[in-house]
Order: sequence, then structure tokens, then C-alpha cells
Amino acid sequence: MAAPDLFTKKEEDFLATLVDEGVEFMVVGLAAAALQGVPAVTQDIDLWFARRGDPTMIRALEKAGVSYVPPSDSNPPLLVGEPAELFDIVVHMHGLGSFDEERARAKIVDVGNVKLPVLALDRIVVSKEATGRPKDLAILPVLKDALKVIDGV
Amino acid sequence: MRLNHEAAKRIAEQRGLTLTAALASAGVSRTAYYSLCRRNDILPRTVLDLAATLGVEPEDLLQKTPTSTTYERRLEQARDICARHPGIDFHNVWHTLTLLAEPPIERLRRSLRRGRA
Repeated sequence: MAAPDLFTKKEEDFLATLVDEGVEFMVVGLAAAALQGVPAVTQDIDLWFARRGDPTMIRALEKAGVSYVPPSDSNPPLLVGEPAELFDIVVHMHGLGSFDEERARAKIVDVGNVKLPVLALDRIVVSKEATGRPKDLAILPVLKDALKVIDGV
Repeated sequence: MRLNHEAAKRIAEQRGLTLTAALASAGVSRTAYYSLCRRNDILPRTVLDLAATLGVEPEDLLQKTPTSTTYERRLEQARDICARHPGIDFHNVWHTLTLLAEPPIERLRRSLRRGRA
């Protein structure tokens, strides 16, 4: 059986709704790295929101058919609904400045018809270094090599 | 999309070949070539019908496949980057260059496909 398509119009429409409704967010983590050309593997797409749970975000999510589950003692913040199955919410970005500072340096990447803000690759490197987790440190050589390539092309 | 016979002749001449010699060198029979020249559209019916249904030009549905020249150029570029950055991993360079040739959405899909395999 063929593998199901990943990142189809459903996901593109979800992101388009967030952008169109004025939600301040950006793609971070290895999905952001992959969008910029890094040969990195990821299972999901991490989104960093400027203001989690604010009315603009909730309204946009509702429009996209997605619910927001706030964090509790037993769960992190979640996006629930078919269009958001590939997406996770990031609560804290290690080693980085404020959302606004990082948003000002973000790259705008065309993903289908959506102009998507994406954490800059050199800042992804900084955040991976700062977490110190083995899985983040393991990908650092790939990120750093790709950064040299992309900067030089 | 028609085969441009004049362009084929001109390009062959620019390479110092007659069209006949170019066809022979490519292993393409004259019969096959002139049969294609007579067709109003060399694209398969499938592509033409799908394009008509979608209301787009057939060319909009086509994707350029990388040629050996593309790979040679990429290899040269990868070697050059490796020479300028001692210690850099060739495979990381090669795969990054390969991904840069793809649109961002396709880069993301590849990453997710492998991550979820």
C-alpha cells in the first residue's frame, strides 16, 4: 500500500488560515531547517506562537477546524483536529531571544501558496546547541554543514 | 507541444553536426524522428486530457527531470564547497545542494516521509 501523502493541501490551508488571520507564529525546529534545504528528518512541524491562546489565534484555529488544548499538569499545549495532525506547539525555544527578536530575523519561505515565517537556520543551530539534548547535538554537524552550503550558494 | 525541427537542426549545426549525424549518434532512427515531427503534440494524450480538464497548459503539469549535466554541475559545486570548507562532510553538502534544487514544500515532504517511515 502506498504511503499516505504528507503535507497536502489540508496542512497548507491550515497554515494559510493562520497567516491570513494575522496570527503571529513561525515554524521552528527541524521542519524549519528542512524547509531551508537541510537534509534533516523530522516527524512533525513545530510552531512557535507569539501569544498562545490569544483570541486571534483561537479564532484562526476555529476557522481552520482546529481546537486548542491549553497546557495542564498532565499535557503540553496541543492542536487538535485533522488539519493540525502534523503540527506541535513549542512552548520555549532554548538559547534564543524573544519571539519578536527572532521573528525579525526569520526567513519567509514560500510553501505552496503560503508565505511562511521560518526561524533562520543560524538560530536553529543556536537553539539546538542550547538544549544540550543528545538528539539535538547529534544533528548539529548536519545543520552546520548545510548552513555553510546555503550561505555560500 | 511540437518538436521544433528547425531548432534541432540549428543546435546540431552549432555542435558541428548534421541533424542526420546527431540522430545516428543519439541512436534515434530517422523514421522515429520524422514521425514525431509530424505530430501536432508530442505529449501523451493522458497529459493533454488532464491539462484540458484542469484548465491549464500541459507544460504546467511537467517537471524537468535532472539531466547528467545537472548532476555533473552539482558534483563540481559540492567539490568546490568541500575544498573551501575543510572538514565539511561531503554527503551533507551533496544532499543540501540536492534539496536546494527542490521547492521548499517538497523538501519538507521528504523530511516528514523519512521521519515517519
